[in-house]
Amino acid sequence: MEAFEEARRLRRERADWQFIESLPPKLKAALKYYIETGDIYVASRIAGMSVDEFNELRIKARVPSVS
Amino acid sequence: MSQASAEAIADTSFLVDWARYRRRDLLFQVFDVVYVPESVLRELKYPLAVDWVAESMASDKMALFTETAELEGEARRIMAMGRGRPLKRIDFPEALCLAAGLRFGYVVLTENGGAYFAPRVLGLNVAVWRAFELLLEAWRRGLVEDLAAELRRYEEETLHLFRRRDWELVCRLTRC
Repeated sequence: MEAFEEARRLRRERADWQFIESLPPKLKAALKYYIETGDIYVASRIAGMSVDEFNELRIKARVPSVS
Repeated sequence: MSQASAEAIADTSFLVDWARYRRRDLLFQVFDVVYVPESVLRELKYPLAVDWVAESMASDKMALFTETAELEGEARRIMAMGRGRPLKRIDFPEALCLAAGLRFGYVVLTENGGAYFAPRVLGLNVAVWRAFELLLEAWRRGLVEDLAAELRRYEEETLHLFRRRDWELVCRLTRC
């Protein structure tokens, strides 16, 4: 669980929140879900995207993937 | 880290990051073939990953892995095993790769936290690697000269960060 907490903290700290808040509700919700869980598969489904497409959005939002 | 099999199976979470890495073909110096499930292939949309996977399949470095009903059943069993355990949820695509790894002895390549810790928490006899373990193995084989520098490059090129414990291990191994 320590690993998951560290990963979540890094995602929260590094994210570009101004960019995230400017997004349409569905994309914003998906990125917030990803920041909290790190689960890219479910996050992509919330966004209505493929995993690859969601990964591009993650990078635009400066959210690191941490594993 | 388990002994490397010559064959691996990659899930989407691994491929979408690894495809952005300039030295991504290191993968094929560690593994003879990397299987890509059809369900994973469906998740790739952008040329960066799609072109690389298609070219790698054309040169037999990657191969398409077609799911069977038996493996899908095993994947759902693994997902059920994870529920109620101190383990991040394992989604179906990662569970499928774990099932294939168990059945055929492939190394499972994933960045999914649930899948990564599944062997330890669920007692599964399967090797699961992230980009970290793959780069570590490449360094052990002399394919990477400066492990810390390579990990930093991977972080920059993919916006994928390694955890503190990983960096501590690197420091112990390289005496930094």
